[in-house]
Amino acid sequence: MAIFMGNKVAVIVGTTTITTFVSSVSLSREVDAVEITAMTDSLNNFIGGIERPTVTLEVFNDFAASSVNSLFEDALGSKLAIKLIPVSGTVTATNPSYSMSVLVSQWQPINGSIDSPASASISLPVTALTKATS
Amino acid sequence: MVPSTVRANLKARLATITGLKTYDYIPDSVNVPGAVVGQLDLNFDATFNRGFDNATCTILLIVGRMSESAGQTKLDGYLASTGSTSVKAAIEGDVTLGGAVQTLRVTNATAGSVQVASTDYLAYRYNVELIG
Repeated sequence: MAIFMGNKVAVIVGTTTITTFVSSVSLSREVDAVEITAMTDSLNNFIGGIERPTVTLEVFNDFAASSVNSLFEDALGSKLAIKLIPVSGTVTATNPSYSMSVLVSQWQPINGSIDSPASASISLPVTALTKATS
Repeated sequence: MVPSTVRANLKARLATITGLKTYDYIPDSVNVPGAVVGQLDLNFDATFNRGFDNATCTILLIVGRMSESAGQTKLDGYLASTGSTSVKAAIEGDVTLGGAVQTLRVTNATAGSVQVASTDYLAYRYNVELIG
């Protein structure tokens, strides 16, 4: 595997692939930095705490049955399974998948302006995350 | 988005305006009033994995010779945002162009002139944004 373009990320919500409605996606893995600086330390000291990943999506909205809007709006306030693959296709050690459970804490059924298609920009907390290589 | 289909369907939408000749090429001589569907400028990859692309298309509306006073009067009808001769209304009457694109919008119209067969014609350039 080498450097690759980020324009073929597969985005699967539940069992529905919404890749062609997504214009931007990011999975951010962040761990709390828990301070354990002692009186004798000359520099701040930290240990890793709980991971707080988030997934951020920018999607073009579609009110068709089982399409983007219903997937997210119907799950508002509950958890949803999302799977991301860096390059759409076979999952391998060099093209791992990230399967996660996210809390749908926000959704934008209406988000429009006169000069652009209806879209939604959301950031969702990840409550479970699994990386797979096959 | 298949450019040839998009251009053909844009031409078909323009043809819904009674009396407007439509072309999908620059003609050697033009019968006015006429509309010429230009080429598409494409921006690929609006969504992931070759989902949708963005495109813009220029439509040239040629009304009459610069010396004809009736030309401006005709243009007013085509420039209106609504009505049976409105270019914007005709194109946006089917924003998917029969399923050829996801959606479109006629964004602006700019006044100008165009020379065809050594004759200057009063003209307007329409820009259409397409996603598909």
